[in-house]
Amino acid sequence: MSLVEVNNLTKQYGQELAVENLTFRLEKGTATALIGPNGAGKTTTLSMLADLLSPSSGEISLADGLTVGFLPQYPQFFPWLTALEFTEMAAKLSGVGAKKAKLQAIRTLEFVGLEGALYKKTGAFSGGMKQRLGLAQAIVHQPKLLLLDEPISALDPTGRREIMDLLKSLQQDTTILYSTHILNDAEEMTDQLLFMKDGHLIEHGSLEEVKSRHANPRIRIRFHKPAEAVKFAEEHSWKMQVLTDSVYLSVDKEGSSMQQVLHTLSSEKQDILGVEFQTASLEEIFLKVVAGQ
Amino acid sequence: MKQFSILLQKEWRENIRNYKIFWIPCVFILLGITEPVVNYFMPQILEASGGLPEGAVFEFPTPSPDQILMAVMEQFQTIGIVVLILAYMGTIAGERNSGTATLLYVRPLSFLSYFLSKWTMAAAISLISLWLGFLAGYYYTLLFFEELEFSALLQMVGSYSIWILLILTLTLAASAILPNGGLAAAAAFAVYLLVQLADGLLGANWTISPMKLPGYAAAWLTGNPRLSEFVGAIGLALLAIIGLIVLGSWAAWKNKAKTKV
Amino acid sequence: MDQTTMLLALLPIFVIQIGLMIFALVDLIKNPNPNGPKWMWGIIIVVVNIIGPIVYFVVGRRNY
Repeated sequence: MSLVEVNNLTKQYGQELAVENLTFRLEKGTATALIGPNGAGKTTTLSMLADLLSPSSGEISLADGLTVGFLPQYPQFFPWLTALEFTEMAAKLSGVGAKKAKLQAIRTLEFVGLEGALYKKTGAFSGGMKQRLGLAQAIVHQPKLLLLDEPISALDPTGRREIMDLLKSLQQDTTILYSTHILNDAEEMTDQLLFMKDGHLIEHGSLEEVKSRHANPRIRIRFHKPAEAVKFAEEHSWKMQVLTDSVYLSVDKEGSSMQQVLHTLSSEKQDILGVEFQTASLEEIFLKVVAGQ
Repeated sequence: MKQFSILLQKEWRENIRNYKIFWIPCVFILLGITEPVVNYFMPQILEASGGLPEGAVFEFPTPSPDQILMAVMEQFQTIGIVVLILAYMGTIAGERNSGTATLLYVRPLSFLSYFLSKWTMAAAISLISLWLGFLAGYYYTLLFFEELEFSALLQMVGSYSIWILLILTLTLAASAILPNGGLAAAAAFAVYLLVQLADGLLGANWTISPMKLPGYAAAWLTGNPRLSEFVGAIGLALLAIIGLIVLGSWAAWKNKAKTKV
Repeated sequence: MDQTTMLLALLPIFVIQIGLMIFALVDLIKNPNPNGPKWMWGIIIVVVNIIGPIVYFVVGRRNY
């Protein structure tokens, strides 16, 4: 059995369907990226998994005794507690024994890079520090399932890098489900992609699967002048598109291969600026899938 | 109950760090002292305000100690209760609205422990304030007026404590049920006033109505209330407190989805 | 009761008043985000006896 099975999950607010008929699985030890525009239903989905919201219909089944950690998009802390006091309380409330809790809280705060702010009141924390503390409270009890709502969106590029590395280091013994709209980062840490739009799951699968379905690999040949590109297109029968100074050859079953292209170019002694192999980035795929709906 | 002690520690830290543990007792002590002091200086105050014609014979009845302490209770009944309701109206609704509750609610939280931890801390501060207020008032009454048996004071304040607990529990339950602190305070006042009105209009024979507790408490100063009625009212008030604690814990659980995520 | 005992008797009232005022002022100074301008609360706390600090704690404080 999978660690988490979600079947036909639906959440309705009055007339509005925030999430409709969502079905997916989370396998043990995998990282899943939940991707979608604002209002797609990502936060609602995560809140239901965290047992904050109850589904209108459908079901969520978690493996027996599964411990969960949750990081909301904008974590709020009791401003009058210090980082250590809060993290220790969080650990205890999640069932960590009183003796271990403090030690584990200190270690976790060091792990997320807050070792200098253990005794500082959280009311004085900056946005980035709050995000780190939010991660600390989510992992302090060493949960088997980690739910993260936009864990890196609010951070600057350096902070993002650091948190991504932290998350990757957690991956060995933790199953992670996180939402994001920063697709470069998603590409870096993902075994499964879930694309959501308007409460629906519109595409899912591993990164390779999704890419093979949508990546449209192509070969771009750049010429010095647009006219040369047009001329090249007229003289060859490949499936291709001309865009300003370049031609784009599609690479599929009927299309060309890099070898053929290079061979042709060198035998014809074409004067070109460059040849490159291109695949669509996750961002382009996402935009395409969303637009195609 | 392990969670209860963890959460109680949090409440303790909060009430120290937001100074509630200091300023609420201060308010009650001042209210307690003011009555005997003002009464004692009333002749001078009237004289100084020049309201009396020159040479007028000055007759001002000296109030008895029980009258003074009853006046203190009246202060607590109005200003004291308002202060307590305003101080604790946001206890649960405020945590939901600020989103600080979210990181508690996503854990395997016992909502009974959650509610009880807040109730215990608020009750402790309220009762300490109440007792300090009455003791201060009692001390000044002895200083400026006549003796009053200490045991009578203990009986009075002990009975009145149950009444204050009832009001406080009502406030916390309202804070768990309603979407924000302002509404919780309004609802607590509304319920208080409505029940008081009903008791006043129709309740001449409702001898064990908890609304009569302040009256029964005051009766200890001059003698004692009729015991069967007093015990009945106390019992009913305790039942209401337990009922409100259960209701409040249930409402806090029911409303957990309303916390800001 | 002579003047000195009288003054001694009234001393606690002043102590509590001053205490409330100091608690409120310390809190106001540390408060990054009071409900209203700081200078206004400062004046209210210092000028309005007893009630000023209480109103600040109930209305002006906000959690921080």
